[in-house]
Amino acid sequence: MQLLKFERIRFRRALQLLLFSIIIVLIQPSPVLVTYGEQQSVETSIPNLGVHTRLTDEVEEWKIQRSLKLVREVGAPWIVELFPWAYYQAENGSYAWDHPDMVINHANAQGLKVIARLGMTPEWARPPETTLNYLDEGAFNDFAQYSADFADRYRGKADHIIIWNEPNLSYEWGYQSADPSTYVKLLKVVYPRIKEANPDAVVLAGALAPTLEPAGSPWGLNDLDFLREMYELGAADYFDGLAVHAYGLTFPADAEPHPSILNFRRVELVREIMVEFGDEGTPVFITESGWNDHPRWSLAVNPGQRIQYTLDAIEYATKNWPYVDVLAFWAFRYPAPTKSYPDYFTFVTPEFITKPIYDFLKNATGN
Amino acid sequence: MNRRPIHTKISTLLITAMAFILLLASCSKTEQSWQRIVDEGKLTIGLDPSFPPFEATDGTAVYGIDVDLANAVAAELGLEANFTYFGYDGLYDALLSKQVDVLISALAIFPERTRDFSYSESYFDAGQVLISPSDSQFEGIEDLNSQTIAVELGAEGHTLSTSWQRQKPGLIIFTFNSAEDALNALNTGKVDLSVVDSIGALLYINKKGLRANTFHVTNEPFAMVVRSDDTILLEKLNLSLGTIKESGQLDIIIDKWLGQ
Repeated sequence: MQLLKFERIRFRRALQLLLFSIIIVLIQPSPVLVTYGEQQSVETSIPNLGVHTRLTDEVEEWKIQRSLKLVREVGAPWIVELFPWAYYQAENGSYAWDHPDMVINHANAQGLKVIARLGMTPEWARPPETTLNYLDEGAFNDFAQYSADFADRYRGKADHIIIWNEPNLSYEWGYQSADPSTYVKLLKVVYPRIKEANPDAVVLAGALAPTLEPAGSPWGLNDLDFLREMYELGAADYFDGLAVHAYGLTFPADAEPHPSILNFRRVELVREIMVEFGDEGTPVFITESGWNDHPRWSLAVNPGQRIQYTLDAIEYATKNWPYVDVLAFWAFRYPAPTKSYPDYFTFVTPEFITKPIYDFLKNATGN
Repeated sequence: MNRRPIHTKISTLLITAMAFILLLASCSKTEQSWQRIVDEGKLTIGLDPSFPPFEATDGTAVYGIDVDLANAVAAELGLEANFTYFGYDGLYDALLSKQVDVLISALAIFPERTRDFSYSESYFDAGQVLISPSDSQFEGIEDLNSQTIAVELGAEGHTLSTSWQRQKPGLIIFTFNSAEDALNALNTGKVDLSVVDSIGALLYINKKGLRANTFHVTNEPFAMVVRSDDTILLEKLNLSLGTIKESGQLDIIIDKWLGQ
């Protein structure tokens, strides 16, 4: 008898819960309907201008679309975006392409060309207690498979692909040593697989971090030394373009380059090495660049300088660097604030408030 | 006599066993980290020494508010502070990969990271502040109406005041080439208000003896960061920080570097 009474109460509770759930579902606002809209094109007087977007962690589709619309409106025809292997491929080999589909389709609908940066290792392809950036030779083939599948899926939509990021920093290898020979081995495994999947792909290597770290440093290796070693190890046949990071730090855009200084024109020292190894036919893609205007960071400038240096950099690169196919600035907008100095690299806040530098850039592109 | 069905008994037993195993696992993890720190007698701290006055380096040693705070916290726990340097991008991964025990590096509490990391109590709020002369009637952001505001061109204060201007079209924004120039305009009575970051405001107020009221309009609470399973270490750090706050030692450290 007691048991029956208890069962009845339980049934009533379950019914109440069900009704409550139905009400919640009914009063919930319907999701925002986002369509690609009419095919757009970018109006610009600077056709090699780009920005590095950060849409990978942006969940809502309308925010992805709005970010890309703002990129188009500022007059930047190129975006660089990270597509982490760890986010999309499960251990059984299956993929969740929904999010990259969304980002790439919206970018294309806005008339933007996509440079895809591939990296970050899923848990199943790395040892326990390692970070997302950890990649060892045992997983090179798996990464190559992901890269090839990506290249195949986005053929004609995202034909420029960067293999890994800043491989001269140990942090970018999950705190393993930053060894040029390991990176060249990776290129040799991944490059042919991408080309096989998409012969039109433009495979970019490098994306080296500007750093003065000497050989044997636990943190990384000088980008110029790293690149020289890459060439010596026969990397030239395994990339179609060299991705370069060119930050101005506290120097103006036209400050003279020197091997012991990190500034915007360090690109010229990189180019000298390419020419030295007979690789002058290979274009450079500056996939990260810019200045930071945080009030406290020791490598920042003030906001007015940041605006001026950015505009000067575009002018300098256009006039003097015919080998540079793209000049992309880090970073267009973060989905959420980092609450530290990286926020001061951006052009638009997470709340879509455009910063004064955005308006100056928009003006510079004739918009 | 207990007449509960056998499957209920087994379920209860299984749940109890699982809870016990989980408890053991979590205990061993947290104790392992804290016990190792105690055994070694040192707390390894990760920081990015590019952020004065919180952390900077002269090439041989690090100094600043966070360095003094770390030394004080470690001393309170009977440990030696051992500093390791990283770039900002590598800080959280260095903690995750157990190269350091704690990050003390002007890091604001970041809810999106709390799956893997835990934050201590805050020790400083580095958000933006609205500043008004101490003899003005201005009592906070709700009093914004048709004042003149000095900001640094392109800075966060500029972006914020532009967004306020959309709500209060009577606001007049004057832009300057630096935060100091904006505060000079306030100090000389050329404008009613200014918006800058709280560190810049404190440095200026103390350097120039500006008599002013400050109102936080954004918050950036700095805190120490540990791995989320290091609950014992977090508790120890919070206790230590609490003692340092109560004794006035934290104020002395902040005053030392912000010039009060």
